[in-house]
Amino acid sequence: MSGLAYLGVAEAAQLIRAKKLSPLEYAKALLGRIERLDAHYNTFIMTTAEIALDAAREAEAEIARGHWRGPFHGIPFALKDIIDVGGLPTTGHSKILADHTAATDALVSSRLKAAGGVFLGKLATHEFAIGGPSFDLPWPPARNPWNRDYFPGGSSSGSGAGLAAGFFPATLGTDTGGSIRNPASQCGITGMKPTYGRVSRRGVFPLAFSLDHVGPMTRSVRDNALMLQVIAGHDPADPASADEPVPDFCDDLDRGVKGVKIGVIRHFYAKDMEAHPEQLAAIEGAVSLLAAHGAEIREIHLPPLQDFSACGQIILAAEAYAVHEQWLKQRPQDYGARARERLLAGSSLTAADYLQAVRWRLKLRDAAATAFEKIDVAITASSLDPACRIDDDEALLATYSRQARMPWNVTGQPALVIPAGFAGSGLPLSLQIVGHPFGEAAVYRVGATYEDAAGWTKSRPPGLDD
Amino acid sequence: MSPELRHKAEALGLDRLSDEHLSQLERATRMMGAQLKRLPRDLPPTQEPSLIFRAKGGHK
Repeated sequence: MSGLAYLGVAEAAQLIRAKKLSPLEYAKALLGRIERLDAHYNTFIMTTAEIALDAAREAEAEIARGHWRGPFHGIPFALKDIIDVGGLPTTGHSKILADHTAATDALVSSRLKAAGGVFLGKLATHEFAIGGPSFDLPWPPARNPWNRDYFPGGSSSGSGAGLAAGFFPATLGTDTGGSIRNPASQCGITGMKPTYGRVSRRGVFPLAFSLDHVGPMTRSVRDNALMLQVIAGHDPADPASADEPVPDFCDDLDRGVKGVKIGVIRHFYAKDMEAHPEQLAAIEGAVSLLAAHGAEIREIHLPPLQDFSACGQIILAAEAYAVHEQWLKQRPQDYGARARERLLAGSSLTAADYLQAVRWRLKLRDAAATAFEKIDVAITASSLDPACRIDDDEALLATYSRQARMPWNVTGQPALVIPAGFAGSGLPLSLQIVGHPFGEAAVYRVGATYEDAAGWTKSRPPGLDD
Repeated sequence: MSPELRHKAEALGLDRLSDEHLSQLERATRMMGAQLKRLPRDLPPTQEPSLIFRAKGGHK
């Protein structure tokens, strides 16, 4: 069967359930594609072909016996290499953990396996989800499939690039200051940072405890909702896990946006910072399109973007330094330059700095909640620019601040990034949709309406057809 | 590399940093300083942090 590289989860699930697609042939096709093409994109740190083929055979046999577990049964997936899979290395893309093997699965890994997922391997990340892209680590950095000379975003770089390259239909990323949504923006795919506490972090190497999120990355909104359904839910062993009901995230996908109240946070990308004109036009175009579909649009105002960024960066630096302090003292030479520099930032902070930041955080959270009182979801930018060259140090440094993702790590609200067109350079543009806490379903509803109307997710990187 | 910076790093227990690492520490500290300038220092005394401690164990 041809045309498997860009098959989505929902479509593949239907075919598998109807026994028109063999999970084994599907896995073999993607493993073959990875072997053939990944040397160009460096998305995988390791592939696990034997594990994948065993799982695919088991799925096929089980479905043949009439037991279909659900939409993830027989679906290939891969994981960012800070997420544990029992018996396999979790390296964090770092020399520091090069010899580390995970004893057990992260909760998200076990849920994906229990749903019948077929695990293909571990993916490139920025070192410990903070420093990258780096050329001084044991593995090379992932490349952007839309143009391999360009940055794929990070830190879930292998996740975003692998989706765009057609290596798998679903993966997980982690997001502490935007690391799911940055590669989603730069690689033209779909990434959800769910509400803080919606998805367990157990078995995921921490970057900053109070800002860390795990979330699904896919090529479409529907696939994203299906994957979140598998991994969402309370985990008593994760102290931040929320004991909240998990709705059916697909229920509202086809309801359209008539009467939905959408707030536009324009000052983030037009005043606090000025987005690239093509990115700005893409967001305004999306707002107009949603208005044409019946959404009620109004502008809303939050504290300045830079306040959220500063608050988040101080908390991130302090918490990350606490995680890495002993290694930075004992083996600083074993980090890549970018991670080491970013992690050392926390060494200069005082206890008072950190505590003022976490006190400020509640004020910022409350200000956002007030701004959201009369709307259902908000729209704003994710990245303010299309991807820069992967070897342009100055532009790469700017990407850390030229974004509107950190506000939602600070407030804990769900935020979805979806494709919103292309720059003249051929690189993807994006849009961010933000919801109320635990309001992922409403975010998906608006995302699905825009996706269906705009059609950007049908585009493929040049030279990477099925 | 300035002796002051090396002393500062050593005081933090970072006594294995090379000159290159110290340059990185200097840049990182400068960048964090820019973020700290925005940090409010006049929050009301009753403003709580976003950290909650809960005691653990059974009721006696």
